[in-house]
Amino acid sequence: MNTASALRAVCRPALCQQAPICDFLAPRITQWRSRKRYASIAISSTSPKTEPTPEILESESIAKRRRPLSKKQQQFLDSALRVNQAGELAATLIYTHQTPPITRLHPHLRPLMHHMYSQEAGHFSTFNNMLARHRIRPTAMYPIWTAAASTLGWVTGLMGREAAMACTEAVETEIGGHYNRQVRVLLSWIKKMEDEGEEVGEEMRDLVSTLKRIRDEELEHLDEAVGEGAKDARPYELLNRVIRSGCKGAIWISERV
Amino acid sequence: MHIFLGSACHPTMIAIKPCRALLRPPSCSRLKACRRLYHSYEHHRTPPFPPTESRILSAALSHVPTHGFTTAALTQGARDAGYLDVSTNLFPAGPFSIVNYHLVTQRLALANDAPSTDDVLNNVSQNIKILAFRRLHANKAIIHRWQEALALMATPAHLPTSLRELALLSDELLFLAGSTDVTSSWYTNRGGLAAIYASAELFMTTDRSKDYVETEDFLTRRLEEGEEIKTFIGGVGSWVGMQAGALIDGLRTKGVWI
Repeated sequence: MNTASALRAVCRPALCQQAPICDFLAPRITQWRSRKRYASIAISSTSPKTEPTPEILESESIAKRRRPLSKKQQQFLDSALRVNQAGELAATLIYTHQTPPITRLHPHLRPLMHHMYSQEAGHFSTFNNMLARHRIRPTAMYPIWTAAASTLGWVTGLMGREAAMACTEAVETEIGGHYNRQVRVLLSWIKKMEDEGEEVGEEMRDLVSTLKRIRDEELEHLDEAVGEGAKDARPYELLNRVIRSGCKGAIWISERV
Repeated sequence: MHIFLGSACHPTMIAIKPCRALLRPPSCSRLKACRRLYHSYEHHRTPPFPPTESRILSAALSHVPTHGFTTAALTQGARDAGYLDVSTNLFPAGPFSIVNYHLVTQRLALANDAPSTDDVLNNVSQNIKILAFRRLHANKAIIHRWQEALALMATPAHLPTSLRELALLSDELLFLAGSTDVTSSWYTNRGGLAAIYASAELFMTTDRSKDYVETEDFLTRRLEEGEEIKTFIGGVGSWVGMQAGALIDGLRTKGVWI
């Protein structure tokens, strides 16, 4: 007994000294070992009776694991939300500049234009808050998108009701598809988190429900635009193609810068 | 994660080949780690440095007042933390790693005693001033050596990392101060604040006044000037916008088809 404790006393300082050197010479090994130990605790379903069980571990919200978002996931959210803000900026500007020429010729469209504009303005402020809160950089092309969207809205407004509606249709088709892709990706993350027994968190749930709501509203605008005669626009094919490829290009750029 | 022996360069080698050491590009793993991304409130941030590096570097930092930002301080730090002298090989950037450690840890430390939410809503520019001065005060213990750090930061090899760090600092200051600008002024705000902070930091190295009162005055003056420029440009912009709007409305009432 005595010899054993003496041996332990001798060994302990030696081990302690060795640990940092080991850690320095081969950090991978020690890291790997510690990770492995952690994993076995996480998987084990029974706990030894001697272990203290603080109440905090029992409560539902903390008992579940919460893994930090991976770099890839953060990057995805970063660029997706940046594009969303730029898109809503463009949408509000398009409606702002379409409204005067359209409503002068077709006063019955005033409530519809106002309704679409106010929804877009709501989306824009939602994404502005999100960007500020999650510290996401707005797109560097901000002034350029402002000018381009204003011009697009104004020109299609001057071309008449059908052209303006065709513009709305093209823009909302692209942006609706963009939101749809985001929702799909986020839902796949949530499914994976739930499968692995992790907690999804309020933040992610809120984000998905907000995106779903906004997407539905955008698609509603699309239906309204088609109902107002978007397909009757004179060079419909041309307008549709040009605006849609412009949107695609803008999304591609805003994702990056 | 670890920058390890393979790519590392022994301190003596740095002494032999100073030019190559200076011109070597910064370690890209550290640069990538600094990239600012979606900030989540429900997920913890990973610490910026692995525990080994952080132990050595914090010990080395305490030797900076006597040894300066040198390899000697780094070696002393490694000894203090219980590692061999050779473990300075962990840091291919040499003394610059101490500078970088100081910059990163002090930037992250700002969040610990950030102004409360009530103050945040009150006055963003006041908060920026308080936070920037608090960050400058964190240099107090090593201010007599800070010019060495500035020289290291300005070397071609380390310039990208230093600029990145400066950008991250000004982003952190604006975020903690409660700035919610997400238009193109996001960029001008950050650029302007970075320039002001960098000049104040340089000013502080020659400031001999008690409690760095002169630095505080300098910082206040620069921030006020920045604010004035911003208000002026904003005023010009809104004036031009209003005139253009009035012109278009006027033409529309005359029946011009626009």
